[in-house]
Amino acid sequence: MGRRSFLRTSAVLTTGLAALAASLKPLLDMNDFPTMERFLQKYYKEMTPQDMARVLKRIEDEVEQQYGLRPHVRDLKPMDGVEYVYCLNLTRCIGCRKCVHACVAENNESRDPEIQYIRVLRLPDGSLGTDKADHFYASKSVPEKGFFYMPVQCQQCKNPPCVKVCPVHATWQEADGITVVDYDWCIGCRYCEAACPYWARRFNFTKPSIPKDRLNPDMAYLGNRPRRQGVMEKCHFCIQRSRAGRYPACLEVCPAGARKFGNILDPNSEVSYILKSKRVFIQLKEEMGTSPRFFYYFDV
Amino acid sequence: MRRAIRNYSVFLGRCARIALEGDWRYQAWMGLLTVICLLGLNAYCRQFAHGLVVTGMSDEVSWGVYIANFTFLVGVAAAAVMMVIPVYIYKNEDLHDLVIFGELLAVAAILMCLAFVTVDLGRPDRFWHLIPGIGQFNFPKSMLSWDVIVLNGYLLLNVHICGYLLYCRYRKTKPGKWFYIPFVFIAIVWAVSIHTVTAFLYVGLGGRPFWNSSIVGPRFLASAFTAGPALIILAMQVVRRVTSSSSPGAGLPGAAGPPAERSKRRPATLEDLALLSGRLPEMASVPGEIRQRVLPTAEVLEVPPGDALLRQGETGDTAFFILRGSVVVVREEGGRFRVTRTAGPGEQVGEISALHATPRVATAMAEEPSLVLSLSADALRLLMKSPQVNKIVRSRMSERLLITDRALMTLRSIVQVSMLINVFLLVNEVFKEFYSGNLHDASSKYLFVGLDHHHALVPWIWTAIAFNLVAMVLLVLPVSRSLKWLNLTCVLCIVGIWIEKGMGLVIPGFIPTPLGEMMEYRPSLNETLVCFGIWAFGLLCYTVFLRMSVPILQGRLSKENEGPPEPPAHSAAPAPLRV
Repeated sequence: MGRRSFLRTSAVLTTGLAALAASLKPLLDMNDFPTMERFLQKYYKEMTPQDMARVLKRIEDEVEQQYGLRPHVRDLKPMDGVEYVYCLNLTRCIGCRKCVHACVAENNESRDPEIQYIRVLRLPDGSLGTDKADHFYASKSVPEKGFFYMPVQCQQCKNPPCVKVCPVHATWQEADGITVVDYDWCIGCRYCEAACPYWARRFNFTKPSIPKDRLNPDMAYLGNRPRRQGVMEKCHFCIQRSRAGRYPACLEVCPAGARKFGNILDPNSEVSYILKSKRVFIQLKEEMGTSPRFFYYFDV
Repeated sequence: MRRAIRNYSVFLGRCARIALEGDWRYQAWMGLLTVICLLGLNAYCRQFAHGLVVTGMSDEVSWGVYIANFTFLVGVAAAAVMMVIPVYIYKNEDLHDLVIFGELLAVAAILMCLAFVTVDLGRPDRFWHLIPGIGQFNFPKSMLSWDVIVLNGYLLLNVHICGYLLYCRYRKTKPGKWFYIPFVFIAIVWAVSIHTVTAFLYVGLGGRPFWNSSIVGPRFLASAFTAGPALIILAMQVVRRVTSSSSPGAGLPGAAGPPAERSKRRPATLEDLALLSGRLPEMASVPGEIRQRVLPTAEVLEVPPGDALLRQGETGDTAFFILRGSVVVVREEGGRFRVTRTAGPGEQVGEISALHATPRVATAMAEEPSLVLSLSADALRLLMKSPQVNKIVRSRMSERLLITDRALMTLRSIVQVSMLINVFLLVNEVFKEFYSGNLHDASSKYLFVGLDHHHALVPWIWTAIAFNLVAMVLLVLPVSRSLKWLNLTCVLCIVGIWIEKGMGLVIPGFIPTPLGEMMEYRPSLNETLVCFGIWAFGLLCYTVFLRMSVPILQGRLSKENEGPPEPPAHSAAPAPLRV
């Protein structure tokens, strides 16, 4: 190779490498590069109890490091003979959105950008058509004459379209009927979000942020532990509560008593009573064949 | 075995060298594409660090231009291989070499598809969760898992077919039928499957009435068959242009002037045939009896410089073999003259139009005082009964016939029929959506006329429809037989279908949301840069593929000429493409 061509080749190579380095520069902003341990973490259903214990400890360390608060992260399993069902009384709901905010606080949902699992629709009396729904009503006081309110969240379908479409089994239905997401397995393709007929799924378009003093330290692996950028999340009937025998946060906060939750397999539960005694109840978009475990009903 | 590996690595090395070398125009083109690629990479790194928040997507419209481009390109990839059907099933020889170009286009398109889905992932670091056997593969339930299989399988199939055929050409060996024909047929079925599976990604979502329609699959195929071949028509003309020498026809006054009949003619003799045998050793195999039968229609011409043997556009049933001197072949394209090649002693001109009874596609004239043997088409056919003569004449023909106008016209008819079907299916869809007038037509309303003061997509879709309709009319009219109009038509088809399938199909499916919220989508600058980067990457790949395969198909790059360094394709060895 002659001197000139050598010089030219090295000039081209240097320029090329410099340009490549310059294009890769934004990667330096990345503060959340996956560690080898996180990169190789096993799928939820394939973890041994020892694996899970290690992972839970690691999550607790990570949360403590980030938020300065040691959480208690558990891997709660479904209870035998339990299938959860939610009933919501449309006659009682006053549209105050207290459930929305209780949910955000309980489930460590990102405040910026804002993620909310529950969307309350304001509908004119007489119609359930979502095309007439107002999502962003900002009334001084509720309830308002001529309107009723319909909170929508994950319907925990018996036949969930989101689970079917996930290419990596990152979301599935548990034995107690709750559809969960393994946040450490989701690849972020958002196919489930496109598939959900209830617009119940939320995606972390960037790194979620929660003020340190607002973190709920009572966490579950499949529930409200903090999520990372680029994964899907959604309502899980407050798995960290319901599987520990408590009511979901949205129910507890409801000032109107519009929300009822319980085990449909227990004939004496409140939800069994409601579904047996009410003449009309509504499964949203029943014609989809999704068979929601979330029932809307009226007082009459 | 080691020898085979050595040969193969020499082959790859030589291909790589060809891809890196070229004149300034080639370097400038590659440089430009590289710069755009790097800009896209830079934008993607920003997205990788900060998340998909740097795109225009939201929980409401959760797929955007990435998936739109992906959908479009799956169609291109599928259609590119369907060129195979006319060749292998209907034995249409015009498209034979186009098949390889088509499959290479499919490879480039699939690479782009894979890039587009990868940049759409929120957690690209977890790609391994998708690998069957290692990760968790939701097969056969998830249509996305099907897509992973069919796209990667399709990539492998096409890489194998192209790679194998090109390597055989390079070694000048006959490809083993069992090594590629079965794969070709699998690829045909597979091509339909990749696009159908991609359509099913959308069709299978019951919660999105805009997509949940059985006509989406056929529409996908029809639009793919329009845009894919249209893209090939354009790409092939670019290939033709840059691989033929482009010295202007100035100094060749006879090219456009009236015929100067100054040539002396005389009947050919056996001595003339013997002279040709001296220049073309394959002639020696022709038995004397056939030589005798050829003679009555054969003539020998003494042609002064500047005199034309045949003219572009004329019809003629004679072929010429040069005995002495040299003949230059000039083609007029859009008012400019282009020397496509020079034929010396032993070489032939005019045999393609003679054998195919088609008009001359170029003018051939003597460069110096030349002696030329003129043969009728029948006489040439007689000579070609000798396998050796047949082989040499055919192989020279195919070198120049790499991309013929006839092949482009065959593609045109494919585009024509597909566009008619495409528009017909669109009409079906629009009728169903609007005539029945139920509540599920909100997305269609938003797309075509706007809904609740939101109409970002309305200008786009009407542009697409206008482009498609104009293209359809042009395709039906004979004007699109001229390349100028055909090119315009192809551009209209590609742009129209890109909008219709991308912006017009993916995005309105999300608007309004299943809960009735209206939220519009506009791609961000960063997202757009990533798209440009991927397109540049695809073009870069395709350019390199063509750069390697054209000299192989023309026989300029082969194992035989392994020894001396390859002359730069543009300057020293103008690639003759056609006569």
